[in-house]
Amino acid sequence: MLSQNNAPNQTTQMAIWASLVAGAVLIAALIYTGLTIIGLDVENFGNLGKPVQFFVGGLLIAIAGLIGFAAWRLWQKRTSGRFILMSVYFVVFVLSIAILLSVWGVYDSLEIFVDTIIRNSGLIILFPIAYAIYWLGGRFREGSAAQTRLTQVAAFIAMGTLVLLIVLGDVLGAINGILSTYSQPATWLLTIAIAVFGVLSYLLLMMGDELGQTPEQREAWQGWIMLSPNIIGFMLFFAGPLLLSFYLSFTNSTVGKVPEVVFFQNYADVLALEFQTMPADVNPQSGLSFGYQPLGSISLGANQLVIGAKDYLFWISLRNTILFCLLLVPMSVIPALVLSIVLNAKIPGVKFFRAIYFLPSVAAVVGTALIWRWLYDPTIGYFNYIITSVVTWLNTTFGTSLQDPAIEWLTGPGVVMFSMVFLSAWQVVGYNTVLFLAGLQGIPGELYEAAMIDGANRWRQFLNVTLPMLAPTTFFVMITTVVTGLQVFNEPYALFPSRPLPINATTGVFYLYDRGFARFEFGYASSIAWVLFAIIFMITLLQFRLQRSGAYDT
Amino acid sequence: MMKRLILVVVIVALALSALPAVLAQDVTLRWRTRPDNQAEIDVYTAASQSIDEGWDGVTLAYEPGGSEGAGYQDVLITEIEAGTAPDVFWIPGTDVARFAEAGLILNLADIAAADADFNVEDFYAGPMGFLTTSIEEGTDAVWGLPRDVSAFAIYYNADLFDEAGLEYPGGEDWTWERFGEASAAISDLGDEIYGFGMNAWWANWGYFVNAAGSGFFNEDFSGCGLNNDATVEGLTFAKSLFDNGAAIPWGTDSEPPFLAGNVGMFMNGRWATPGTIANAEFNWNVAPLPVGPSGEATNWLFWGAYVVNAKTEHPEEAWDLITRLTSPEIQGQIASLGANIPSRATQEAIDLFLGTLPDSGVNNQAFVDGTTSADVRTEAPLFLGNWPAIDSAYGTAITAVFNGEQTPEDFAATICDAVAPEFE
Repeated sequence: MLSQNNAPNQTTQMAIWASLVAGAVLIAALIYTGLTIIGLDVENFGNLGKPVQFFVGGLLIAIAGLIGFAAWRLWQKRTSGRFILMSVYFVVFVLSIAILLSVWGVYDSLEIFVDTIIRNSGLIILFPIAYAIYWLGGRFREGSAAQTRLTQVAAFIAMGTLVLLIVLGDVLGAINGILSTYSQPATWLLTIAIAVFGVLSYLLLMMGDELGQTPEQREAWQGWIMLSPNIIGFMLFFAGPLLLSFYLSFTNSTVGKVPEVVFFQNYADVLALEFQTMPADVNPQSGLSFGYQPLGSISLGANQLVIGAKDYLFWISLRNTILFCLLLVPMSVIPALVLSIVLNAKIPGVKFFRAIYFLPSVAAVVGTALIWRWLYDPTIGYFNYIITSVVTWLNTTFGTSLQDPAIEWLTGPGVVMFSMVFLSAWQVVGYNTVLFLAGLQGIPGELYEAAMIDGANRWRQFLNVTLPMLAPTTFFVMITTVVTGLQVFNEPYALFPSRPLPINATTGVFYLYDRGFARFEFGYASSIAWVLFAIIFMITLLQFRLQRSGAYDT
Repeated sequence: MMKRLILVVVIVALALSALPAVLAQDVTLRWRTRPDNQAEIDVYTAASQSIDEGWDGVTLAYEPGGSEGAGYQDVLITEIEAGTAPDVFWIPGTDVARFAEAGLILNLADIAAADADFNVEDFYAGPMGFLTTSIEEGTDAVWGLPRDVSAFAIYYNADLFDEAGLEYPGGEDWTWERFGEASAAISDLGDEIYGFGMNAWWANWGYFVNAAGSGFFNEDFSGCGLNNDATVEGLTFAKSLFDNGAAIPWGTDSEPPFLAGNVGMFMNGRWATPGTIANAEFNWNVAPLPVGPSGEATNWLFWGAYVVNAKTEHPEEAWDLITRLTSPEIQGQIASLGANIPSRATQEAIDLFLGTLPDSGVNNQAFVDGTTSADVRTEAPLFLGNWPAIDSAYGTAITAVFNGEQTPEDFAATICDAVAPEFE
């Protein structure tokens, strides 16, 4: 509560009143919208289902309640009320701008914007020319006639080009188009909302001292305001979809239909296994229940124990993912460590090589995978060409009779996994190398000097100084590599030319994508996503435990 | 400061200059196809412009779909869910059933019935049969109109046939026996040379099964049809090509090695013709598919359809657009590219197709013969089953057969049980 000595001035008092009125309007609007959303037919709310409508509608009503609470606190001249209202008004201000731009058609025009650039690309070259002339003018003495003249020429070219672009681009028509959207009440409402909530946010921002705000509180909300774009983005584009996917995993969601809640049915179908004992000579498929496929069998003498799965491909994809991970870790961590030690040396051109090795990490996976697809081609690919050439050379030079293996990199059942891992490792090594390099550069030189004095050779220094000191980095590299491996998608997606993928190349994330987008089974695909999430989470947790127990301390 | 100011003003000016088109008051129809290359994009863009120019009150926006990084179907499904899909779009024939059953595309029966110029019989009967299949008893259906049709043929490298001293494919005795011998003889020409190549999707292995007298489904498409001896015979023959080293390994894209001159015969559709003309630096032509044990010329009738988004705000105009896109004039423009065959089954359309790519010397007749083979199987949308799941199960098992992990006999014995849950 404020003391009488700190009583707000008249402007602040008016701002508080305006905030309370705006708050009341917002509460009414949120409650109305919330109730409307709850009452909408499911078809009119993206076919997401009633639970989602109740959640969203309830959330809006809860926000209305929060505004009510904040307004009450502000009425009492409490700074917490001001802070909450300021945050809400700021969010309303930002969202109103975003929606108004949409109503104006700005987002839809982005493609046409690109077309306009392409259409006028010849003209746009005049801008760098103008800048070059301006830059040239800057080389002359400050205030000289040459500099003035060149600056004028540059400005003339730039402005002339601009005017030409405006004429070509029909900007007046665009302004007219924007004005025409004001025939709709929504456009007015949004414009007024931007003005009102923008001004109120500003006034609430400025009245802090009069409401007894402490410097710590000021710092805190300044921090929150700075974070707000990220938080809004996170809530809208990450947390929201995540929650939605969790809900969908308990439904039979498919494209174009209202999802029905099926509780744990999807999870049961994903994980369902069956164990059947049957004579060894019986076809395993025939001994399993309808809908189950044999995953494998164990011989029990005259009998066999057959393990069947309802979702055969899920288990296979899970096996493939784990195998991928197990191969990726050594293939990308050990070379990265070796490479980082080499690149840490003071040798000529080392910066160039660091950049070269990092390039695969920043290259688009789809693009590089297409190149690798060619390299792997068994008939016209370079890998087999090199192998064939070497075999031929050996046979002709030494009279050996080596057989050309003619490896089927992308189709051979025993090879496809290796091909995927090799591509992935090639991409990850550069990133891991940079991490190890950073770790190596953080090791104090005195440790090596002390080790040398103690008579340790290079290898002992590596074992007893480098490796232990790199333990935290190694832990981080392992975690990121394992998670990358468990989430592998791009490699199978882009590397294999045909669908369905070879069974040994189907990974967990690819399989959930396949169920979601090729078969429209969004509910089922969501449940696979959450099962995979649980597995990745548990493996990461395990790694953290290992780290705490000292397993990474060598 | 000045350069920043200029940059900001330019961006704003350009963005604003784009707005009038967005805010135009005409009915704007967005439509999309999946072109294979820039030449197709150019032809469809030109077709869109020519329709647009002659159509008052409607503005067309053509959007080529699909890229290496974003599949055509993925983007389309995402947009449909988000409510931002185009008004008219193309889908493969196999997808018509699930799009219809999911309520994603509009049943145009009423609008079509009111269109005096529309006649179902103008188009190939196979695709139209599926496109007019009702999913609700007692109602008529028109799910769209076929954009084009296509069939397989054997693209052959005449130089390799000459080198092996073989007669070119085709003729009365063009059977599996001669086909197998030719494949083996050509593959004997060198380590990098293969007699035959095909790509790893359903129609390719499906040809061998069909030509042996089997088929993917039973008669009313309500169940699997592969559990028979004909399937075993067809797959055994196809597998022998791989086992003998006469065929490019299953799963490998056979087009690049064919275009590189390393493959004697490549089974593919008409869509591959423009690329072959552009890239093959050897003498080549096309021939009909060889006749299998069934004794009848066998082929697929591939097709895809223009359909209307169920959420379009302009269904009448959308129907008008797909009739215009499938008009003889526009099909003529598109067929001139040589990538596909007009979907209109009139003699005029066939003559038009036969006259395409006159300088290339391509045997266009082979494709027309393919579409009218004695045993032509129309690409079938599955109204009583989950085709993507079945395709995936079939494909996985077929790969196991061709890789030697499963025998054709095991395949035939188990595949129908494996896919049974996917049929209604």
